[in-house]
Amino acid sequence: MPESIPASLIIDTLKDTFREARKELAAEVAEPPQHSHLGWILSVPDTHQKTVLAALDKERALRVVTCATEDEANAINAGLWIGGEPVVLMIQHAGLYASVNTLRGVAMDGRVPTFYMIGLLQRERDRDPKESRHSMVRFAEPLLDTFSVPHARLEGPDDVHLIPEYYRLSRQRRGPTAVLVGLETM
Amino acid sequence: MTIKPEDILRAIATARGDAICVPTMTTSPAWRTLAPDDLSIGCVGFMGGASSLGLGLALSMPKRRVIVFDGDGSLLMQLGSLATIAGARARNLTHLLFKNGVYHTSGSQEIPGGLSVDFVQMAQGAGYRKAYAVSDFEDFKRRLPSMLTDEGPLFVELHTGLADKTPMTDRGGQPFHQQVESLYQKLHKAG
Repeated sequence: MPESIPASLIIDTLKDTFREARKELAAEVAEPPQHSHLGWILSVPDTHQKTVLAALDKERALRVVTCATEDEANAINAGLWIGGEPVVLMIQHAGLYASVNTLRGVAMDGRVPTFYMIGLLQRERDRDPKESRHSMVRFAEPLLDTFSVPHARLEGPDDVHLIPEYYRLSRQRRGPTAVLVGLETM
Repeated sequence: MTIKPEDILRAIATARGDAICVPTMTTSPAWRTLAPDDLSIGCVGFMGGASSLGLGLALSMPKRRVIVFDGDGSLLMQLGSLATIAGARARNLTHLLFKNGVYHTSGSQEIPGGLSVDFVQMAQGAGYRKAYAVSDFEDFKRRLPSMLTDEGPLFVELHTGLADKTPMTDRGGQPFHQQVESLYQKLHKAG
């Protein structure tokens, strides 16, 4: 059975992920960016991850840009990545559907590392997402499969190691990857 | 009165210094000629994304000016980006809107609202630090230095005629992924 993940665990994991990303960039480039923050969260607010977004309000090490659309988030991510900044996109499955053209045009065709955390709002605790009564939940993984986007489920606290793994994978394959947040964070 | 877009681009190419430029749609062919192989990246394949791409660049490099060459039809596709840019308070972002009232690239169909759409009011309402319109080339040249140095986000609605070329009449230029790679390399692997 899936479990909710504490916001603090996700935030600590993101910080570690960004620290590692900055270390790698520093080893790779002539003049790595020097900033007081660790990285960026591009958010189109998601009910499913609202406790994380609320906790991020108090975080100085992670800068949050609230975007009006997921299309914007994709293009902002490209600019931040070109500038050497670590980034995570926190969106909802409905936003994934809404932004398919920028997923294709920016992340895929542009070969821009793009790491999504996608909330599966209305995902039923006792049912596999592929069997969900809700089309928003049911179609998320098949859509990612259609575009050959590697993805994994965050089904509980034991799965947070997938965050740095899929973040690194987006950098290695120069394209999009995603983790799907199964239950509402707490 | 309208301004020739090529005249604007020529003046920017001379004055921009090390600014990163983000052209889109009908500014792209002329910009390729005026500023080949430099710190530019065109919004290709995701119409409407130039302003957001520029915002990401501006946030990542706060000491460098980023200039977006947007179109009115393009901006309408992601109009919410005005609020996102204003909310992110990108002080080094100059957002130039080449306003001609039509979708020039696809055959000059009128944009919704045509030339009556007031983007300056929209930018002001969204919270840009400064927003104004320019419809005379001499006025543009006079204001250009401050467009490149004033604290942003700064929005300038440029009343222009149609460009000589469009991405459909003058195909070419690098695909987006090559531009991404090229700019990344220039910014991080120089020397």
